[in-house]
Amino acid sequence: MNSTVQSTVQSGGAGVQASLELIKKYAIIFVLLGLIGFFSLLSPYFFTQQNLTNIFVQNSYVIIAAVGLSFVMISGGMDLSIGYQMSVVGVTTAVCMKWLDMPIPLSLALGIGSGVLMGAMNGVASVTLKVHSLIVTLGTMTVFQGLSYIISNQSAIVNLPPEFKYIGQGYVFGTIPVSVILMFITVGAASFLLNKTYLGRNIFAIGGNEEAARLSGINITVTKVFVYALCGFFTSIAAIVLFARSGSAASSTGPGTEFACMTAAVLGGISFKGGEGKMWGLVTGVLILGVLGNGMQLIGLNTYAQYIVKGFVLLAAVGFDTYQKSMLGRKSKARA
Amino acid sequence: MVVPILSLRNITKTYPGVVALQDFSLDFVPGSVHALLGENGAGKSTLIKTIAGAVQPDSGEIHIQGQQYRHISPAIARAHGIEVIYQEFNLVPTLSAAENICLGETRGKKLVDFQWMNQKARELFAQFEVDINPETLVRDLSSSQQQIVEIAKAVSKQAKVVIMDEPTAPLSTHEVESLFKIIRKARDAGTCIIYISHRLDEIFTIADQVSILRDGKFIRTVSSKDTNRNELISLMVGRELRENYPARQPASSITALELKDVSGNGDSNISFSLKKGEILGLAGLVGAGRTELAKLIFGAEDCESGQILINGEAVNIRSPRDAIRYGIGLIPENRKEEGCFLEQSIRWNISIAAIRQLSRMFLIDSKAENKLATDYSTRLQVKTPSLQQRVKNLSGGNQQKVVLAKTLATNSNILIFDEPTRGIDVGARQEIYKLMVELAAQGNAILMITSDMEELLGMSDRILVLSEGRMTGLLERNQCTQQRILELASGNIDKGNLHE
Repeated sequence: MNSTVQSTVQSGGAGVQASLELIKKYAIIFVLLGLIGFFSLLSPYFFTQQNLTNIFVQNSYVIIAAVGLSFVMISGGMDLSIGYQMSVVGVTTAVCMKWLDMPIPLSLALGIGSGVLMGAMNGVASVTLKVHSLIVTLGTMTVFQGLSYIISNQSAIVNLPPEFKYIGQGYVFGTIPVSVILMFITVGAASFLLNKTYLGRNIFAIGGNEEAARLSGINITVTKVFVYALCGFFTSIAAIVLFARSGSAASSTGPGTEFACMTAAVLGGISFKGGEGKMWGLVTGVLILGVLGNGMQLIGLNTYAQYIVKGFVLLAAVGFDTYQKSMLGRKSKARA
Repeated sequence: MVVPILSLRNITKTYPGVVALQDFSLDFVPGSVHALLGENGAGKSTLIKTIAGAVQPDSGEIHIQGQQYRHISPAIARAHGIEVIYQEFNLVPTLSAAENICLGETRGKKLVDFQWMNQKARELFAQFEVDINPETLVRDLSSSQQQIVEIAKAVSKQAKVVIMDEPTAPLSTHEVESLFKIIRKARDAGTCIIYISHRLDEIFTIADQVSILRDGKFIRTVSSKDTNRNELISLMVGRELRENYPARQPASSITALELKDVSGNGDSNISFSLKKGEILGLAGLVGAGRTELAKLIFGAEDCESGQILINGEAVNIRSPRDAIRYGIGLIPENRKEEGCFLEQSIRWNISIAAIRQLSRMFLIDSKAENKLATDYSTRLQVKTPSLQQRVKNLSGGNQQKVVLAKTLATNSNILIFDEPTRGIDVGARQEIYKLMVELAAQGNAILMITSDMEELLGMSDRILVLSEGRMTGLLERNQCTQQRILELASGNIDKGNLHE
């Protein structure tokens, strides 16, 4: 709807223009479909219900964490600390359950609470220090790292209770994984928050033009702290899914997720500058990485070769985006 | 007769909708201080940019040291020894003072010779009689010290023509004295100094000739010995009102906004009252503190002392959010940077400041949002096929209407317009004027900052004049003349009219 209107405004060749705009807008979905087709041809094991479910299960925690990160990115910030936030949340929950013998719901609440607190701390720090949040979270990342190893006493906590593991390994109605349900709920809630509530509007406004947002009467401080705390909340959910799936907790689990999330977000069209981004784009971004990893595994490429391919995919996506924008810029100049 | 070092012949430069310079000719001779004088927008900036090679004129010729050019590049200007000291500093903040002065110079060695650079800087600073350590990083210097480094840099290049754009703005009295000494020394050594300043006193102290510009045209060159303040001011004005301004209803006598001795953000002791239905013009030269005052009232900057009253009640405005709650709206000077969200749609932009009022619980009522956006875009006649259109695709005039709609949507009744028609074409300009008059007739109080003399005289009921952060006059409509306003704006305090 949007794209058709714009193209009719701009030129006479509306039909061609509109379909070009559509292709441009949904380019990454075509990329995902292309990859699925490609790997289906190369491996008979790829396009099976079992394998596709696997891809979702393996990536559900990445999607949930990426949702949290995307809030921060849309508001114009960055959070490098989410990997170690996950680590802290995971070991905190596990320590509460196994060493302190707390009931599981209380342990989960404490774990999630610690995540929200860490997020809020990032928010407060980036608002008060007035430094780019990339730098702020570089610092807090190190803090959380230390914190996690102190909480876990540098040891792995094994044999987590089966009720807890159900979150990461269980199925509802025997076919639908719990983690995937959680992922869909997260994406739905995030999409609702971003698009239907005024908080979402304010987040886009701050990322799009912070000074204009301030002069429009938006409370920048409160909104930013909220955004980081929300990121902490989603990160906690992601941590619980990840730790429940592995069944044991160690401080080394979690770190690295931040880069997977960033890569997916950029692939999915969430700008580093803030102010734009869509949830379906983000999910597609994660799935592209997931399908690539899974497919390459099935056709026998080793892990290190996979890194190389993933890196080039990211560069190609970003390059394509910039190229398109400069082409568009040139066209509109030519018209004017 | 001395041979001119630099001559402009019939230079014309137009920007879309504006003639910045029109058939402009002027000679500059070596060994003189030549001041350029004119109102905001008279064409001084375009003139110096033409000389520096930063803009290319549409027609005309530039003669430098006997060579003739259609237009010049910055490299050609530099090769002829033309140095410009712009108002915004062109220094590298992370390098030392000495490194900045010697930037781009090599001394035949492969390695950097710090000793030589520091020695050179030290000598220059000694000439200026200022105490700056050559090894201090520029970002650690005060703005007046930075200005001196900038000037020292130009002087050290053995420039033949030095252009100084408001060089004394950040300087203290003592530093101005040493600057003038340097200028005289350079002049006596044969340099031509082109000096731009709004401060008439300085012009009488330092300049040999004064050339007056008005509306992009050359008016006259006079010798500073044979003229006086009044003559200069009357040469700067004398513009006729060309545009039609919509008829006005008289303002009411109810005070909407009152400032009592308000200081902060570079302004001090500002007191005035703004009536419902009134358009109060806020006049002053660039840097007089007008936008600063607007930001102060709007809570975007901290108020240090004094009182702001709205409808007779003292209020404490600590943020734009508070200001909006009290019914104040700001239409900022820089539309694109401070006013709108370019990547978002018209509807999105109109509703963003009122989005909380459009929500129930946290949920945006999209019907109410649509209605609001439709109502305002119809009322303000935003020209667009759809409210989904991104704001970056709109013309300047339509963007301004969107910003105005955004502000009105918060139910503001005290409206501060900062340069409401800057960069807007003539047709849209008329529409903005009409809207402002309508808004005033509906009982809104309007504070209008403008550098456009015509607009100021055509639209204002009264005019408040600022100069260097202080109030220098408050004129009733029948007292407003261009001459009077310019006198006040260049620092003459009007004691009789300051208190109502």
